[in-house]
Amino acid sequence: MTRRAARRHVRIEHVVMAISVLALLLLVVLPLASMVWGSVSEAGRPTLAHFREALGSRLYVQALRNSLVLGLWTAVLSIAVGVPLAWAVSRTNIPAKRFVHLTAVISYVTPPYLTAIAFVNLFSPNAGLINRFVRDVLGVPGLTFNVFSMSGLVLVTALHTFPFVYLLAASALESVDASMEESAQILGAGRWRTAMAVTLPLVAPAVLSGALIAFVNAIALFGSQAIIGLPGRVFTLPTRIYALFDYPPQYGLASAIALIFVAITVVALYLQRRYLARRSYVTLGGKGSRPQLVALGAVRWAVLAFCVAVFVVAVLAPYLTLLAVSVSKSWGLGFWQNLTLQHYRFVLFEYDVTRRAIGNSLLLATAAATLTVLLGSLVGWIDLRTGIRGRKLLDYASLIPLGLPGIVVAVALIQFWLRMPLPIYGTLVIILLAYTGRYVPLGVRSANAAFRQIDPSLEETARVTGAGWLRTFRSVTLPLARPGLFAGWLLVFVPAIQELSASILLFSSESITLAVAVYNLYETGALEPVAALAIVTMVIITAAIGLAARLGRAGVAGPSRVERATVTQ
Amino acid sequence: MAGIQIERVTKRFGPVTAVRDLSLEIRDREFVTLLGPSGCGKTTLLRLIAGFMTPDAGAIRVGGITLSTPSAVVPPEKRGMGMVFQNYAVWPHRTVYENVAFGLEVRKVARAETRTRVAKILELVNLSGLERRYPSELSGGQQQRVALARSLVVEPGILLLDEPLSNLDAKLRERMRWELKDLQRRTGITFVYVTHDQSEALALSDRIAVMHQGETMQYGAPRDVYTRPANKTVADFMGLVNLMAGRVLRAAGDDSLVAVGGNHPISLALPEGLAEGQAVQVAIRPESLRVAALASGPTTDTRAAVPGKVADVTFLGNVIDCHVTLDDGSRIRIQVDPTQTLEVGQRVAVRFDRQAASVFSG
Repeated sequence: MTRRAARRHVRIEHVVMAISVLALLLLVVLPLASMVWGSVSEAGRPTLAHFREALGSRLYVQALRNSLVLGLWTAVLSIAVGVPLAWAVSRTNIPAKRFVHLTAVISYVTPPYLTAIAFVNLFSPNAGLINRFVRDVLGVPGLTFNVFSMSGLVLVTALHTFPFVYLLAASALESVDASMEESAQILGAGRWRTAMAVTLPLVAPAVLSGALIAFVNAIALFGSQAIIGLPGRVFTLPTRIYALFDYPPQYGLASAIALIFVAITVVALYLQRRYLARRSYVTLGGKGSRPQLVALGAVRWAVLAFCVAVFVVAVLAPYLTLLAVSVSKSWGLGFWQNLTLQHYRFVLFEYDVTRRAIGNSLLLATAAATLTVLLGSLVGWIDLRTGIRGRKLLDYASLIPLGLPGIVVAVALIQFWLRMPLPIYGTLVIILLAYTGRYVPLGVRSANAAFRQIDPSLEETARVTGAGWLRTFRSVTLPLARPGLFAGWLLVFVPAIQELSASILLFSSESITLAVAVYNLYETGALEPVAALAIVTMVIITAAIGLAARLGRAGVAGPSRVERATVTQ
Repeated sequence: MAGIQIERVTKRFGPVTAVRDLSLEIRDREFVTLLGPSGCGKTTLLRLIAGFMTPDAGAIRVGGITLSTPSAVVPPEKRGMGMVFQNYAVWPHRTVYENVAFGLEVRKVARAETRTRVAKILELVNLSGLERRYPSELSGGQQQRVALARSLVVEPGILLLDEPLSNLDAKLRERMRWELKDLQRRTGITFVYVTHDQSEALALSDRIAVMHQGETMQYGAPRDVYTRPANKTVADFMGLVNLMAGRVLRAAGDDSLVAVGGNHPISLALPEGLAEGQAVQVAIRPESLRVAALASGPTTDTRAAVPGKVADVTFLGNVIDCHVTLDDGSRIRIQVDPTQTLEVGQRVAVRFDRQAASVFSG
């Protein structure tokens, strides 16, 4: 009997393994391979011409340089904003910490192309609201700010990426054991010396790691780079790749540039991992005592003022602007005389493109989130609960998309599916494949974390008391893992509903998505409907987060079910 | 020089009073242990001494100089003390050498001198040759020694230790215990040591302060605290103890009589303030009781023994753990010599070592 059970167990493992391998092949490996082939071939013949052009032509070298400059400055600005906020929240007695934290969260979930559109409304050289105010009312044209520039692009991008640094730095600062600093203090080191000699070195890996993630994200964002960079003639790798798909599309060159793009991303992520792995001192969830908060006195109001400034620039200004534009008959006329809801009616009910886009995006995001978490669970389960050969390889393979910017995923999928007999190009299916492939790492990481927290003995107890594998999975593993899996689902849903970088190359008029509709409307100059659609996007995102948070909380009732499973079976 | 005076110190955390009107005098070069269960306020007291906390009332002085009052606290970095934490708090980003040298760097000691002093202290704690290792490459015991060396190298007058051995395995703990004691003797530093382990306290200390709910229950030499507990709480905390209900038959100091175990009079020494007829509790340790087979017929000295029946016998190797049911139905635990043969159900006489018994009002 035991032998039969053992054999069945092995069979389940192998089935799960096969499904996971197939999925990853289809989603990631084969498209990537066909892109690599595309980059070194022309009409079926091997050639290095594409790379020669990508690395030789001024056009693309300039784009490469711009991307790097953008990434570096964004990382620097993210540190400059994220670290002070993290320190204020985790180490000082400033009031309204929840507000500061919320600022970071909202900045993170706000799609950067929306921030970009809002900033264009405020800072476009001639029509920008603030620029007009500075020039015409204050009469100091020297103080105007042209958003269509590298500085404008860095600013808008950093407003989206500083939360990476903030979150990592805050959790690192919170988990440095108080005794580490107290040891220095009792040895005679003052506050400043303690901070420099002990605290800073301990949290530096987390800060650097956050900055590298900010870098990788910054260079991959198509939307803001197109909206701000193109008018300012600041071309970057994503916008150059995008341009290569104008008729006639140059797949080979696009693939070569995409691979160079991937190389940058992979190097950055490799550095991040290596640096973190080698020098990660901060023990998360340790039992040590919490650091004492610094009583700042009057200085805390200055610190709070900085936090409020970040809130105003990152959240208040963009949202107020979008809201104001969305309810104006025509932006630029007297505001209170021109209030209207017509643009909402237009994008929600009258204009079939935006209506379709909303439906498509909801469908795609839901499906992609579910698929990635499912696939993530399979991969995570294989990694943690079986001894099957090649499981580590599978785990690594599932992380490949981390190194693939969205537009690169699109390039790879197009190359692959154009060669396949299945005509999915231009349908929702190829976009779904793109989303699922892009976000598989999130699903795998979440599932892995969720399963890791469940001690195998809990499952073994259920097995010993007579529950079968499936029953154990259903009544022990799944309930316990649910909050973690739910978090993973949300982690995919939110970026998927606003995905632009891959969708922009894959959509057709039938499969248009929300973000693409926003971008296209913006291109036509329809400012007010764009703003209305932007607000709708944010409402959907907020509702999704709220709903998921509530459902996720309800799912924490796991342990009692375990008791039931282990006792009654 | 580095004696510590703690005068009526109180520390509250919201509604909880962690230390309550506590006074303690620690002499220079003394090894004093603050002993008590978790939550008794011992760590809070240590952190008050270190200057990490401000007292709500009272004062802490070292060598006659006031360091802490509710209105002014000399910060930890200005106190010149050393402290060893429960988790060692060895900095993971610094080598052994860099960890130990830190205090000297802060004090701007010349590099050459730093080198010799670090080398000397590492030799003292048996870590020579590991200077360039990182803490992650060291065992728990070695990390502990780095923490010790780091505190000792600056030659503090006072070393504060917060459960420094609790994260080590039993064998290592015993060895480090001995090393700590030896170190204290050789350096002549005043040690204030916090622990919840009574055997550690007994083995190490010159004096033990037994703490309970923010107050000192007893402060004295290990032998006194062990053999003459001031009250039930101390007796209970200092190890296995039998508490027997009794009644005073005659109150006459050293020559008193107390009825225990079903109205059997026992000759005991009574503390002041207990009167005839009063209910009391007699505390006596299992190793201070003897068991003898009860001879049929009258025994010679009934006032030193109580009759009972063997209920359970467990062989533990070095001793036999024996439970005896007395006539009033209560059970007491006795440790007897392993060579003695006892059988369950046997009638026995339980003999008291009257020197080792303490009587508290019940």
